[in-house]
Amino acid sequence: MIFLPIWKRSSSIKTIAILIIAGAECLFGQTSIVTNSIPSLNDSWPTYNGDYSGRRYSTLTQINKSNVKSLKLAWAYQTHAATLKSTPLEMHGIVYFTVPDRVWALDAKTGQQIWEFRRTSEGDHTGQRGVAFYSDRIYFGTPDAHLLCLDARNGKKLWDVKIADTNLGYYLSIAPLIVKGFVVVGTSDDIIAVRHFIEALDWKTGKVVWRTSTLAEPGTPAAKTWPNNRAMNHGGGSAWITGTYDPDLNLIYWGTGNPHPVLAGAGRAGDNLYTCSILALNAATGAIVWSFQTSPHDTHDWDSVETPVLFNAKFNGRPRKLLAQASRNGYFFVLDRQTGEHLLTSPYVPTNWAKGVDYKGSPIPNPAKEPQPDGLLLRGAQGGGTNWMSPSFDPETGLFYVNARKGYSLWHLDADAKSPPEDNHGGGSIALFTTSILLALDYRTGEIRWQRESGLGLGYPGILTTAGHLLFTGDISGNLLALDPSNGHVLWHTRPGGMLNSAPMTYQLNGTQYILTGIDGVLYAWSLSGSL
Amino acid sequence: MIVLRKFVKLCIPLCLGAQFLAVDVIAQTPPLKKENLQKGKIEFQQNCAECHGNEAMGGAGPNLLESPLVRHDNSGDLIAPVIREGRGGKGMPAFPLMSQADILDIAGFLHARIEANNNVKSSTFMREHTLKQFLTGNAEAGRQYFYGKGRCNTCHSPTGDLAGIASRYSPMRLEARFLYPPHNNIMAIVFLPSGKQIKGKLLHLDAFYVAILNEDGWYRSWSLQQVKVEVKDPLTEHLELLGKYKNKDVHDIFAYLETLK
Repeated sequence: MIFLPIWKRSSSIKTIAILIIAGAECLFGQTSIVTNSIPSLNDSWPTYNGDYSGRRYSTLTQINKSNVKSLKLAWAYQTHAATLKSTPLEMHGIVYFTVPDRVWALDAKTGQQIWEFRRTSEGDHTGQRGVAFYSDRIYFGTPDAHLLCLDARNGKKLWDVKIADTNLGYYLSIAPLIVKGFVVVGTSDDIIAVRHFIEALDWKTGKVVWRTSTLAEPGTPAAKTWPNNRAMNHGGGSAWITGTYDPDLNLIYWGTGNPHPVLAGAGRAGDNLYTCSILALNAATGAIVWSFQTSPHDTHDWDSVETPVLFNAKFNGRPRKLLAQASRNGYFFVLDRQTGEHLLTSPYVPTNWAKGVDYKGSPIPNPAKEPQPDGLLLRGAQGGGTNWMSPSFDPETGLFYVNARKGYSLWHLDADAKSPPEDNHGGGSIALFTTSILLALDYRTGEIRWQRESGLGLGYPGILTTAGHLLFTGDISGNLLALDPSNGHVLWHTRPGGMLNSAPMTYQLNGTQYILTGIDGVLYAWSLSGSL
Repeated sequence: MIVLRKFVKLCIPLCLGAQFLAVDVIAQTPPLKKENLQKGKIEFQQNCAECHGNEAMGGAGPNLLESPLVRHDNSGDLIAPVIREGRGGKGMPAFPLMSQADILDIAGFLHARIEANNNVKSSTFMREHTLKQFLTGNAEAGRQYFYGKGRCNTCHSPTGDLAGIASRYSPMRLEARFLYPPHNNIMAIVFLPSGKQIKGKLLHLDAFYVAILNEDGWYRSWSLQQVKVEVKDPLTEHLELLGKYKNKDVHDIFAYLETLK
């Protein structure tokens, strides 16, 4: 199945896609160990993850292992704004990217600004991951939990709909996902005990088509994983990272966040479905077709929102439609994405919050490792084994790449079973020691095939892999890197003067392939030929 | 409770200081309006909240409402250099391009947060836990760990560097500090091709280059293709112990350290 781009001109793009996929396989004279039936990325980068699969693997090969040493700066754009956390899109020669309250459209060849959209808002400005593009429109979530529709030509606002009440703490940091004319978003926040949800809106009008709560509905079997409806209805489950989609199965895959109160679990005994879970949703109705919980009864803020990456490959000798996630709780999961059947649970960083794995493949939380009023020393980095930074899967190497964190942390509980916590966090954690590391995981076993120390501390660099046998990312020491994805060897590096806190992306325009990297508040474009 | 009383006493001058600072700000710059605070909050959440928490009460980075530097800041005079230059050894990145207006907004937001926090017993964990909550261990067992299994006495002394340590830190900070104190005094020896060795404080080490602050106070750096480096981290033993402690050990050692007032 070839990726059908969701904008106009689909027939011509489809043709190009076929040629590029065929070309990639011929060029390197080797057969992918993973089939290419998942949509591949081509000249453009039309969605947050590039395509629906979440692999962040591009078939472009102009920049490749043999010439990446010659990579030069093509252009840079200074936003004078906050840290760039969005993955830019590239469509029709225009790059679109964001920070909270702001969207820019740039000439993809020169970095020249075409338009900027600004809307000052109340609400949480923690981050903005990017926009969605559909039918010449741009879709943009705001800190006060509105979804805006802009004219992609000039940035003019076409409509503005309220998704949720910002006074209750809701906000949108997500890059929307477009599925069959629906604009799909999920809500963010942990400040106040509320229900979170995933919602699909009509692309033309912004009217709600379906809304799926990430918490169980009263009276359903899943509701029995909560002690009562009150706890459940205040139970969290934010859905703040863009999901993935399988057009053949018509299923949307979306990760959910932690339950509320965040660290105080005494008032919500049970597994607390569907928090810290991977959900498979019927794209037409939003109905939950299956779910898999990565952290039952979470008390460490182990959001399971990290990208559920889709690829087709053999597992135990049998071709499968797979879904893989390196989850914030430090475990790597592989599922059959058609059925939700669990195939692999394997820790990718040392951690001791769980005492084993249950028959369903979910780690079993160890009550002795929950936050304590006098402090609990935990093996594992304070913010989790990874976070929102995008992973990548390279079908050529069959490796899953994730920027991970190892360390120790100290966890304090504010409340006990007798009294509810005084706030929605219910405690807090202190990072004692954190070190970052880039891991290449074998999807079949979860084993680390190679690793590269990234530096002391933490950051949020995402990952891009390409058919040019390249892996682009940044480290915690201030380097921008192109690595050999088969062994982690450095092929190109530079010091861009700041940190990569988003994922690199790539596109090809007028015969030139570009790599884009957001460094602090500056967007840099790299190519083999440099400036026009 | 002695510690608590001291904490309260300490707070009074600091609180007054914060209020005076607010007056100073008003005297020297246009009065902070709601929109300045709102802008400062946005700037803070975008740039600082990942480490310092959305409400500046800490996370991976320190609680800024407890920070003496922030509390003594006047119109951004102390905060601005830290934002612009960062604190490399402590993992604080530099924001050299942040405008003075944005820094003033952030400073305004922090001072407003401090004032609010001082006046309201807010409900987050960084509000100090009582000492009683932390004193769940056995001080004698902690002492034995200190001199026995932990071999803490090879570097530390209750009458030397640790004398009065329980009076210097709140219970939560003391617990975190003895487990793994924040530090930036990793030392390095750089071996030059000539055979010469240069010692200094390690400023940077990645796969490509090393930088140190030489013993004579000068910055030096080398490509790793030219030199070899030996790193001496004084906290290696602390890191090893993190992997060995049982939670009971943590609370026993805390109880022992709490006797060192």
